[in-house]
Amino acid sequence: MTGRGRGETIAGRVILAVDPNALGKLAAGRDIVLVSGTNGKTTTTAFLARILADGTDERVSTSEFGANMLAGIATVLSSKPRNRYVVLECDELYLPAMCEALKPKVVVLLNLSRDQLHRTGEVRKVANLWHKSFVGDDITYIINRDDPFLEFAVSDAGHVLRVTFGGRKHPDAATCPSCSELLDWSKADYSCPCGLGTQSAQVRADQRLSGPGRNAVLAIEAARLLGAVVPVTVQADLTESAPDRVSTYAVGTRNVDTRLAKNPESWRECLSQVTAPQVILSVNARGIDGRDTSWLWDVDYNVLQGRKVVCTGERRRDVAYRLSVQGIDVTVADDFAAAVATCDSRLIEAIASYTAFQDLAAIGLGLTKAATGVDR
Amino acid sequence: MSKLTIVRLYHELLGTYGDQGNAEVLVHRAKARNVSVKIVEVAPGQPVPTSADIYLIGGGEDGPQAAALEMLRTDGGLTTAVASGAALLAVCAGFQLIGTSLPGADGNTVEGLGLVDAHTIYTDDPRCVGELYVTPATDESALILTGFENHQGRTQLGPGSQPLGWVISGHGNGLPMEGSGARIPEGVVNGRVVGTYMHGPVLARNPQLADQILSSVAGSLTPFTDQLADEFAAERRAAFRS
Repeated sequence: MTGRGRGETIAGRVILAVDPNALGKLAAGRDIVLVSGTNGKTTTTAFLARILADGTDERVSTSEFGANMLAGIATVLSSKPRNRYVVLECDELYLPAMCEALKPKVVVLLNLSRDQLHRTGEVRKVANLWHKSFVGDDITYIINRDDPFLEFAVSDAGHVLRVTFGGRKHPDAATCPSCSELLDWSKADYSCPCGLGTQSAQVRADQRLSGPGRNAVLAIEAARLLGAVVPVTVQADLTESAPDRVSTYAVGTRNVDTRLAKNPESWRECLSQVTAPQVILSVNARGIDGRDTSWLWDVDYNVLQGRKVVCTGERRRDVAYRLSVQGIDVTVADDFAAAVATCDSRLIEAIASYTAFQDLAAIGLGLTKAATGVDR
Repeated sequence: MSKLTIVRLYHELLGTYGDQGNAEVLVHRAKARNVSVKIVEVAPGQPVPTSADIYLIGGGEDGPQAAALEMLRTDGGLTTAVASGAALLAVCAGFQLIGTSLPGADGNTVEGLGLVDAHTIYTDDPRCVGELYVTPATDESALILTGFENHQGRTQLGPGSQPLGWVISGHGNGLPMEGSGARIPEGVVNGRVVGTYMHGPVLARNPQLADQILSSVAGSLTPFTDQLADEFAAERRAAFRS
């Protein structure tokens, strides 16, 4: 998030203070798409806006700074009110209210997993909230049907486009979100006596796709539905270009490739991509990071065995102790600059929780940002 | 050298809040004392062994909690093990289900396993979310216990029950008990059974509690200083005062 992103939200607050019904008025007559889910909202929103801009003759408005709550959305809608397409990233808890206010044509649902338990609550709470709201025929929902929470969320909806990536065990879905019975995961995909998940997918995508690759497929399906012409090479191009929250900071003569990880699922994804011999982990527990750090124990850090690991951030001792119990050698540093100073390899990678990443992006440590791609 | 078996119950169901880390902490601290130890994972549907030393149940969502309760009731293994002296640490949803009654997935009251005299109810009060600081009931001059709580239910301890501690800050069980005056109890202790609302995981943030549970089944433990563990625990205690 940048300084401009915060300004964007403030403009929206003013609009809403003047006219609480502003959202509906600003959305009327336009083709709105909402993108929601635990991980990948910003990337998918950017993908979809790009495909629509390239594949249609219409102009596209979109949330560029990940401002995904009420005020941020109001700002996007008001800035270029004649743009036909509006692609909006939407916070999970705001999604039902935004569907009500904006009457979107398409809603893209990426995934649901544990995130900010102190705020968002448990996954099933969000799934239930969506399920109650997703009724009627006005909206087409595009979902990753391999996620049982999404399948449950749209089970009463009139129009659903299901995309499968070949099935993938969901770490939070031991029981059925619909009937609470144990889901049968014995065949990589799930099944339940209540019938959840038996509707077949209209789109079968490559099982080997990474997170950004899966997001690209969902964005392409949404763009096609809205009438865009989508060349066959788009998916590979997008996946290749995905910034995926990696920022490179030049610190002295060394580059630190830094990834943003917000919850257990995104930590697993980031850890799977670690290649450097020296790794910095920076963890805070301010509101948006999730105030409860217990989830650190749900992540397997085995990939860090044999590497030099330095823990920093406000909750460095939480992560350092967790790693030491897994048998990984760790040291603790007071701040990011001190952590970098203890490293001597040319290649250093870092994984940072949300606000720890923001602190770096704000260049509060005198680091030089060498490449772009910061998003939220 | 003694041998310990730790059973981690249904962590796919009751693993929402990181409580499975409690098993890793116990193993780590046992091995440091040359106590050989193994973790047995019991998945939903598998029989619960009756002869293990320590059983662990964590926190989770309402639906999975109800499923876990029904499986434990039908299986009977945990109840048998506790009756024959095994230790049990039950956290949050796990704490609720070892009591006498609790709200089921549909909100109606269901019978718990009855391993402790405590019943859980829903009130109209907001969810209890945040840092929790507790004075140990057995020794009020001992180090305070710290954790993170995140629960809707309030748990009433029966008369004569022993709480794990008294709330200094946070909600804990959320209801006073007979004779406690204005003090709010946290958790419960019944022999070798410990219930608590503290996540963290609780044994990571409170090494002294981990050692209490270990020594309750393995006897006295040799001294062990784990600098990272102690610094982490001390920092969490200090967070209360800051």
